[in-house]
Amino acid sequence: MGEMFDRVVIIAAVFIVIMTISVYGSDQIPAPLQKQPIALTGGIIHTVNSGIIHSGVILFDKGKIVDIGTNSTIPADAVKLDINGLHVYPGLIETVSQLGLAEINSVRATVDYSETGEINPNVRAETAVNPDSERIPVTRSNGVSMAVSVPEGGLISGKAALMMLDGWTWEDMTLKAPVGMVIHWPNMRATDAYGKQKSLDEHRKQVKEQLDKIEQTFRDARAYKAARDADGQKDVPFHKADVRWEAMIPVLNGELPVWVWADRKQEIVSAVDWADREQLKMVLVGGADSPLVTDLLQRKNIPVIITPILRLPNRRDADYDEQFTVPKKLFDAGVTFCIAGGDGMGNDRNLPYHAAMSAAYGLPKDEALKAITLYAARIAGVDGRAGSLEVGKDATLIITDGDPLEITTTVHKLFIQGRDIDLNDRHKMLYHKYSEKYRQAEGN
Amino acid sequence: MENRLGKSIILVCFICSLIFAYLPCGFCQTAPVIGLHENTPQVVALTNVHIVTSGSILKNATLVVRDSHIEAIGTDVKIPPDAIVYDCTGKTIYPGLIDLYSHYGIPEKSPESTETGSIHWNDAVRPDRKASALLKVDEKAQQKMRKNGITAVLTFPRKGILRGEGALVLLCDSGPNFAVLKESAAQSIALYESTRDYPQSLQGRIALIRQTILDTQWYDTAWERYNAAPDGREAPEVNLSLASLKPYVGKIKPVVIETAEVNDYARAKDIADEFNLDMWIIGSGDEYRRLDMVKNVQGRLVVPLMDNDPPDVSTDEVSLRQLRHWDFAPENPARLAQAGIDFSLTASKLKDSGDFLKALRTAVKRGLPEDVALKSLTVIPAEWLGMSKLLGSLEKGEFANFLLTDGDLFKDKTKILETWVAGRRYEITPVPEIDIRGTWSVQINPKYKIGAFDIEISGEADKPTAKIMKDEKSIKTLSLTIEKRMMMCAFQADSLGYDGVVRMSGLAEKEKMYGQGTWGDGSDFTWDAVVKTPWEAKSDTAAVESVDMANFPVVYPEGAFGRTSIPDQPEVFVIKNAVIWTCGPKGTIDNGDIIFKQGKIDKIGTKLKIPENAVVIDADGKHVTPGLIDAHSHLAITGGINEGTHSITSETRIRDVIDPDNINIYRQLAGGLTMACIIHGSANSIGGQNAVIKLRWGAPAIDIVVDYARPGLKLALGENVKRSNVPGPVTTRYPISRMGVKQFMFDSFQAAKDYKTEWQEYEKKKKKDKNLIPPRRDLRLEPLVEVLEGKRQIQCHSYRQDEILAMMRVGDQMGFTVEMFIHNLEGYKVADEMKKHGVMPTVFSDWWAYKFEVFDAIPYNGAILHDRGLLVSFNSDDLELARRMNLEAAKAVKYGGVPEEEALKFVTLNPAIQLGIENHTGSLEPGKDADFVIWSQSPLSTYTICEQTWIDGRKYFDREEDKELREKVRNERAALIQKILGQGDKKTAKKGETGEKDE
Repeated sequence: MGEMFDRVVIIAAVFIVIMTISVYGSDQIPAPLQKQPIALTGGIIHTVNSGIIHSGVILFDKGKIVDIGTNSTIPADAVKLDINGLHVYPGLIETVSQLGLAEINSVRATVDYSETGEINPNVRAETAVNPDSERIPVTRSNGVSMAVSVPEGGLISGKAALMMLDGWTWEDMTLKAPVGMVIHWPNMRATDAYGKQKSLDEHRKQVKEQLDKIEQTFRDARAYKAARDADGQKDVPFHKADVRWEAMIPVLNGELPVWVWADRKQEIVSAVDWADREQLKMVLVGGADSPLVTDLLQRKNIPVIITPILRLPNRRDADYDEQFTVPKKLFDAGVTFCIAGGDGMGNDRNLPYHAAMSAAYGLPKDEALKAITLYAARIAGVDGRAGSLEVGKDATLIITDGDPLEITTTVHKLFIQGRDIDLNDRHKMLYHKYSEKYRQAEGN
Repeated sequence: MENRLGKSIILVCFICSLIFAYLPCGFCQTAPVIGLHENTPQVVALTNVHIVTSGSILKNATLVVRDSHIEAIGTDVKIPPDAIVYDCTGKTIYPGLIDLYSHYGIPEKSPESTETGSIHWNDAVRPDRKASALLKVDEKAQQKMRKNGITAVLTFPRKGILRGEGALVLLCDSGPNFAVLKESAAQSIALYESTRDYPQSLQGRIALIRQTILDTQWYDTAWERYNAAPDGREAPEVNLSLASLKPYVGKIKPVVIETAEVNDYARAKDIADEFNLDMWIIGSGDEYRRLDMVKNVQGRLVVPLMDNDPPDVSTDEVSLRQLRHWDFAPENPARLAQAGIDFSLTASKLKDSGDFLKALRTAVKRGLPEDVALKSLTVIPAEWLGMSKLLGSLEKGEFANFLLTDGDLFKDKTKILETWVAGRRYEITPVPEIDIRGTWSVQINPKYKIGAFDIEISGEADKPTAKIMKDEKSIKTLSLTIEKRMMMCAFQADSLGYDGVVRMSGLAEKEKMYGQGTWGDGSDFTWDAVVKTPWEAKSDTAAVESVDMANFPVVYPEGAFGRTSIPDQPEVFVIKNAVIWTCGPKGTIDNGDIIFKQGKIDKIGTKLKIPENAVVIDADGKHVTPGLIDAHSHLAITGGINEGTHSITSETRIRDVIDPDNINIYRQLAGGLTMACIIHGSANSIGGQNAVIKLRWGAPAIDIVVDYARPGLKLALGENVKRSNVPGPVTTRYPISRMGVKQFMFDSFQAAKDYKTEWQEYEKKKKKDKNLIPPRRDLRLEPLVEVLEGKRQIQCHSYRQDEILAMMRVGDQMGFTVEMFIHNLEGYKVADEMKKHGVMPTVFSDWWAYKFEVFDAIPYNGAILHDRGLLVSFNSDDLELARRMNLEAAKAVKYGGVPEEEALKFVTLNPAIQLGIENHTGSLEPGKDADFVIWSQSPLSTYTICEQTWIDGRKYFDREEDKELREKVRNERAALIQKILGQGDKKTAKKGETGEKDE
C-alpha cells in the first residue's frame, strides 16, 4: 500500500515537473552567486540615505555595491544593464512576517510559527523556514527582498530571524538570526477575543498571572546565567543545561533585543517599564497607541515596529485615520520607527502600501520609503549591510518603473546580494496557465 | 395611639398569613376550611388624609376600605358604622403603582425541557406557558416592590423567544389563586435571548418570530377547515404552542416585545405592522437617542428606569457614547414626556428593583413632571390592561391598592409609611408611638446628687439621635433608640462623675419619661425627665439640590462623530474644475464641472454655465469619482452576521438587523464608500437575504436601506459550509463534502419548486373545495421561489472552480442563473463557463493562502474575468479594507493591466450593475444620485486622500469638518469625565455646605 502510494506521488510529481518545465520553463530556481560585476546604467537611483541620482550608475560585484554615481567606471567584464527611465531602490524589508513558517493558515500541518506552552525562548524561526514556500516568490515579486520570520503564540514565543527571500536552504536564506526575542505582552483590556466585556476582577487576575510568569521566567534565566557564569570556578558544582535559559543569555547580556508586542497604552507602558527594570534592549512591535506615549519611548530609547498601518482605529472615539497617522506622529516626536505589514495571511507583498498610507496621511514620502528599507534594517540590526544603496552594502535592490509605494508600479527585477532573482511565482504561473486556456479557446 | 388601629390590622394580616400557611392554595374559595372559619371583618376608614391621584388632589379626605376594595372616597364621606377609623392627619395617599413588565414569582428555571408533548419544535417557542401557572409567591420580592410603592405587576415567564403569557398579579401575600387578577394578559417576545441551537442571531430570532406567527394563522385555518370536513383528509399537526398564540395574532390581546436598544423599536414595529399586532414595547432606556423613531412606533411603551452608575474613567477605554449615555439616561423619561409620548415605567431593568423609587425620583429631578410620573405608573398601565375600573385612580369600587406617605412621593425625604394591596396593609416605615424629639431635662435619683442635665433629641422620629448636655458640655450618646414607647440610651458617665458607660431605659409618655438606669459598676438607679423645649420641625434646611442636566444636545447617531441633524442638501450646487472620472460614457473629463440639483446630477461637462445662487465648490486639482460601492460587506450588522445553525436559513433578513450607529459607517465614508451590499455570513449553504445600504451616517436603519436594489440571497460553498475549519470533532450537519453541498442546493431548490406547485394547486382547487387546507407559508422556501422566478438574485460565496461549475449546473437544471459569485477566486479558471451562464463575479483583489481552497487564488483573477467579458467588481468583506476600495481597484491595473478607468468601475459602476442599482448610482451621469467623492489626487494613487464624500447631494464626510468633530469629541469627553470625577467631590462638599448656604 505504502509503496504504491509513494509511486503515485512520484509519478504525479514527475508529471508536474515535466508539465511546468515544458510550459513555463522555470520553477523559480534559486539564483546562483553573482559571478561577474553588474552595472545598472541610466536609471534613477534612490539611495534612500543620500538622495536621488538621476541617470546614474550602480555597480555591484560579489554581492556588494562597489560604486554608485554618475560617472563611474564600468569594468570591462561587467554585465551592463541599461535601465534608462527605470528606478532603482534598495530591496524592501518586511520586519514582521510568517514567511516560510506558514503555508496555508487553516491547515495545521502547514503551520509552524507557534510552539505549545507559553515560554519558548529557545525556538528559532529560521530553522523552520521552508525555502520552497509558494508565498516567498509571490512576496518578492513585489520588491520585498527580505523578511523577518516571527514566531507567535504564548508569552515568550521564540527568536525571530531575518531571511533573504531566495535560497536553496534556510541557511542560505538567513541574513541574520536571531534578530529578536519575541514576547507577546498580555492583553490588558478587559475584553475577550470577541470584544465582549470580561469580569474586571477575573481579567486583572489573569493579567497579573501572565506578568508574573514573564518576570519569573527572567528571574529563572538570570539564576541560570549566574550559575553558568560561575562554571569552572572553585567549589562550583556542576549545573545541568536548560535549553530555555541558555537561549535567554544573549537577551540578559543586552546583545539580543526583546521584541515586545504591545498595542494599548497601558500595555506599552507596562512593557517599557518592565524592560527598563530588567535592563533589556527592547523593540516595541505593534504600537497602535504608541503616539500616546512618545515621551516615554524617547526617554527609554525604544524603537517601534509599527504594524500594521492598514487597520481600524483602536477605539470607537478615535480619529478614523488614527492608525494611518501613527508613523507621522512618531516621526514628529523623534521616535525611531519602521513600518511592517505584519500580515500572516499571505499578503506580505503589500508591505509598501502600508508605508504609502502613512505617507498619504502626513509622513513625508521619503520617510515612508525609509520606514520599509533603511529604518527596518536598522531595527533588525543589519543597517551595515542592507536598507540603502551605499558602497559596501549588499547589492540587494529592485528595479521598478516607478515609485514602489504606488500600487500601479511594477517591479521588474530583484537582486539579492547581487544574485539575479527569478520574479516568476505561483500566481504568474497560474495566470499564464489559464491564459493558455483562453488562448486555446480562441483557437490561437 | 393613632396607630393602634393600624396595629390591629397588622395583627389581622399576621393571622391571615398564619392561616395561609396552613392552606396550601391560600385563599382558594374552593379549598376546604381546615380548623375554624376565620371571618375577621376588614372595614377601615382613613380620615383627614391628602389623596393625590393622576389629575386630582383631595384635601382632608376620607378613604373607606371594605375587604379588598374601596368602598368610598372623598371629602364628604360618611364613615360606615362598622369601620375602624384611622386618623391620617398630615399624610398622603397615592394610588398603588403598577409595573407592566416583570418576572416576579417566576422560578429562574422554567420547566420547559420537561415537557415533550404536542408543543412547538423549537424550545425557545413556548407561547403556551403561563405565568399564572408558574407563579410562586415570593415574599422577599414582594416586600421589595411594595417598599417602592409597587402594588401590582404584569409578570411573564422567563427564557425563550416567545416566552408565554403574562399574568397581572397583586403583590399581596395571599396565594396565587387570589393574587392573579388577569391570567393571560399579554404574550411576551424577547429579541435578545440566547438559545442552544437555532436561532443564535438576532436576524434568526426575528425570522423565527415571523414564521411562528404565520404558523399560528395557518394552524387556525387548517384546523377550522379540517374540522369542517375531516373525512378523507390528512389532519394538521396538533400544536398547543400555536393554539395558545391565536388570541395574540388576532389582535385580541397584546404582545410585549422586550428590546435592548432604541433601534429595536423599528424592528418591533416591523413585526407589529406586518402582522397587525397590538404591540407593547418594553423599552431600552436609551429612547432619547432616537425619539422620532420611538414616536413613530405608536405602540404602547413600557420604559425602564435604569441604573446610572458612572462608567469607569480610569483608563481611556470608555467611549463618548457611554459617557453621554450616563449623562442623558436619567433624563430619558423626561425627554419622552417632552416629545408627547405616553409611556408607563418599569423597574425590570434595574439591577436591584429596590432602587426603583430612587430612580423614579431622579427622573423627576431631571425633568419628568410629577403628574406624568404618577400617571405612567397608575392610570396608564391600568388603562392598557383594561383595568381602569379596578386599578390606578382610587375610585369607588377599585382595589384598595394605595400608598400612605408622609409627604410628596417624589421628594427624596418622603417615606412610604404603608403600602396597601387589595385592602391589606403592609407597614413599610414603622412610625413610633411617640415622637420624643426635643430637649428633655433629666433628673437622676436625688440620692446620687447629680444635678439635672439635658438630653437633646433630634434627627428622625423613628431614628433619633441625641446629645447629653451637662454643665454646658456636650456628650455624644453612644446610642439612643425608641421602640413603641420604650426609650433606651447609653453614654459615657464620666461627665456625671462616674466611671464607664451609663445605660438608661424608660417609658416615654406625652411630656414625661421615666425609668431605670445602670451605672458602669452594675448598680441601678431610677430617673425622671420632662420636656424642656418641645421639638420644633425646622423648615427644610436642605439646600435645593442643584440638578445637573445633560451637557450636550443629542446627536445622530449618539456618540463620537454624530451630528445634531443629517447634513443639508443644497438646492443647487456645482463642482468646478475637477478631473472627473465619470465611470460613464463620457469617460474621464479633465477640468470638468458638475451641476447638482435636489440631490441629483443635473449636468456634467466642461465650462458649464453656473446657475445663479448655486453653491460652488472649486475642486481645482482634485479628482472626483462616483461614490464607491462595496458589493460584499458585513458592515453595521447587529446580533450576528451568521445564523449558522441550520444549513439553510434563507428566512433571515439583514435589513432587520442593520445597526445605524456603527462607527465603521463613518470610517468607511471617510474612505469614499457610499453604498454597500450587506450580506449574511457563509457559515451555511443557504444563508439569508441581503440589504443594500447607503452610508447615510446618522439616519435610522430604515433610511439607510434602499428599496430599489435587486433582492439578494446568500449561498455558500466549500470549506465554510462543510465546517472544515471549525475546531473540534467533525460535524454531522449535512453537508460535509462538496458533493453533498451540491446535493443540498439541488434539494433545497427542488423543495422550493414543490412548494410553489403546492400553492398553485391550492389556488386552483380552493374555489371548488372551501374546506381545502392551504399549504403552510414557509419563509425559508419563499426566497428560493423568488430565485426560481427571477425575482431574487443569488450571491454565492465560492472559491474553487469545481464548486463554481457545480452550482451553475444546479442553476441550469433548476432554471435560474447564479447571478453573482462572491470571492470566486478560481473564477479565472472557468471564466468562459461563467460568462455563458451569465455570472457577474465580485472578487477579492489579491487575497489568498489563508485556507486551502484559496491556495490557487491569484491577483490576476479580476483582470482575466474582465478580459473574458465578465462584469467584475472588487469587494472588501472586511471593515478596514472597505475604507480603501479605490486602491483595490488599482490592483486590477497592476495585475493584468486593466485600463485605469475600467479598473475604477470595479468599485463603482460594476458593483452598481451587479446589485441592480445602476439607474441610481455607480457613475456620474445626469439623473443619477449625487453620490460622489472628492479626492486629493488620482483615486488610484496610494497617496490620495478622500476629502469629501457626498450622498444624495449631502456632504456626509468632509475632512475639514472631521477636524472639528474630533475637537468636539475631545472636549466632550473631557467635560463628561470631569463631571464624573467631580461628582464625588461635589457630594461631600454639598453635605458640608448645606447649612451655611441657606442661612
